[in-house]
Amino acid sequence: MDLAVYDLKLHKGRFIATIIGVGLLFTIVLAMNGLYRGNIHEGLATIQATNPDLWVVERYRGGPFNETSTMPEFYHYSIKAVPGVEQASPFIFYTVERQIRDQSRHFSIIGYEVFGGLGGPQKIHAGRNIQQAHYEMVAQEKLGVRLGDKVPLGLHTYTVVGLTREAVSPDGEPIVYLSLPDAQEVLFQKDNEELRNQRERLSRSLTRQSSLTPQTAEKLLPGLQPDTHIINAVLVRLRPGADRAEVARMIKKWLFFSVYTTEEETQLMLKGRLAGMTKQLLLFRTLLLIVSVVIISLVIYTFTMEKIRSIAVMKLIGAPNWVIVRMVMEQSMLLTVSAFLFGLILIHNTYHLFPKTILLVPGDDLVVFIVAVIGGILASILGLSQALKTQPAMALGGQ
Amino acid sequence: MEVLKIEGLTKIFGSGRLEVRALEDVSLSVAAGDLVALLGPSGSGKTTMLLCSSLILEPTQGKIVFDGQTIFQKNGWSGGVDIRRLRREKMGFIFQSHNLIPFLTARQNVLFPLSLVGLKGETAQHRVMELLDYMEIADRADYLPPLLSGGEQQRVAIARALANNPRLILADEPTASLDTGRGKKVMELLKKIAKENQSTVIVVTHDVRMIEGFDYVYHLKDGRLNQTH
Repeated sequence: MDLAVYDLKLHKGRFIATIIGVGLLFTIVLAMNGLYRGNIHEGLATIQATNPDLWVVERYRGGPFNETSTMPEFYHYSIKAVPGVEQASPFIFYTVERQIRDQSRHFSIIGYEVFGGLGGPQKIHAGRNIQQAHYEMVAQEKLGVRLGDKVPLGLHTYTVVGLTREAVSPDGEPIVYLSLPDAQEVLFQKDNEELRNQRERLSRSLTRQSSLTPQTAEKLLPGLQPDTHIINAVLVRLRPGADRAEVARMIKKWLFFSVYTTEEETQLMLKGRLAGMTKQLLLFRTLLLIVSVVIISLVIYTFTMEKIRSIAVMKLIGAPNWVIVRMVMEQSMLLTVSAFLFGLILIHNTYHLFPKTILLVPGDDLVVFIVAVIGGILASILGLSQALKTQPAMALGGQ
Repeated sequence: MEVLKIEGLTKIFGSGRLEVRALEDVSLSVAAGDLVALLGPSGSGKTTMLLCSSLILEPTQGKIVFDGQTIFQKNGWSGGVDIRRLRREKMGFIFQSHNLIPFLTARQNVLFPLSLVGLKGETAQHRVMELLDYMEIADRADYLPPLLSGGEQQRVAIARALANNPRLILADEPTASLDTGRGKKVMELLKKIAKENQSTVIVVTHDVRMIEGFDYVYHLKDGRLNQTH
């Protein structure tokens, strides 16, 4: 005789309300799992899609994604000259916020050598790759642009020639690919007014030097303008059979850069930028699971306390303890499993509506289910202890 | 044959200055089919007597023999006796406030003690309907207790008490929550059960109007038992 089910049938309104409440908490836990997986996926997407043999960045920097790294563009020639290096491509990556289709959009720009260089888009979902040195762009479709759209960035307008799906920045923002000079121009180009002001400031600064005549200072000005041929990293492809460690050692020793393999770059992201978020999400998930268990515990305790006289009657007429334990545990399990299933169904039908990528992994769902079941068992302890402490004598006497 | 034999039963609560002697050297012997009334004012020890007789409360001293088996002797339960099993297989209980399980229908309430002894399926259902028929409440079999009147609830409670053909039925103020007419009907039913089923029925009550036709009447006063009929 399934006492738990008969009791829940009588209180189905409260039972369903509790399932929805606890189920929503499970939805958030599962969403956070997905968010965590999504963040890892996005955080590593560009690194793994680019996947060169070596990443060369500014010395002592963990760049280009985990930390800012800047280096003069011409160094890629020096790196290419290192024995064992087949190809060395300049690479620039930065984040901007610009107006796209009259909406302010946050996105990242990657600049690369479009004619055979490393670091460009891996898969074009629609259209083609960049084929001209200037004014063409490939964008991730989440940016909200279409093929053929004209997008003004800085002083120029760029035509969307290709769309990608996979290219997202470590922050989950869409990526726009430009040719290296275009990317540098968008990053460093100033408008004419600013250029005039800058020139004026430099000129005044030089003429204050007593040894310089105004004419000499004027001649020096072009050479003192800030260099815009700056990159963030050099991507290296090795010759077949080249010793990766040896090449890296040589670049570090003779060119004074930091060098990472793609695996090391991945670890830098996981242990650096993504580590805090991982801990944060773990803490939130733990707290939510505890809250779920406490709610189930209180509900089961209330259900049990309402039945305490019936439990006393059951004991008095000789029901063994297992009958009572089964009733309480079964209610707890029904509540836990139903709430979990509610949460699971809800998140699997709504994950695409979240602004950030939610990557649902069956293994994670299983872990939450196991933790929920253990939580459900723990939640029933409070109710069980009351049920088992109930004296059969309580059944005697009036209400 | 004696169904319940109690000898020199004493129950003391507390100790020292707070000591309360709820039962004092009580002896009682009831045979199969006996209909026994236990009368007494509040605080006389009736409930303590009922709890000891139903093997719920451990006496301080004395001896309890139930259905030929010594259950309690001197100052402890006899080893190897499964008291809860004895209660579910050989005892039936009727309560003042019916105490039906509120989330089970009348049918399921009667089925519950049968399921505890492993009786299932058609046999169990047949037995349930037989009992509800006997109590003239078969047409209300699928009603939840709150939808039944007080008298109907008590009849379902009696059917539940009879489910496993108990040797002993203990009734605690079974008419207290009923009007006089319904109370008398319940008492008539208990008399009928005692005679027809050869079950011993012990009724604890404070209402002398309800004990007409009982085989034995005992009075409890200050923990001491006296037979008055």
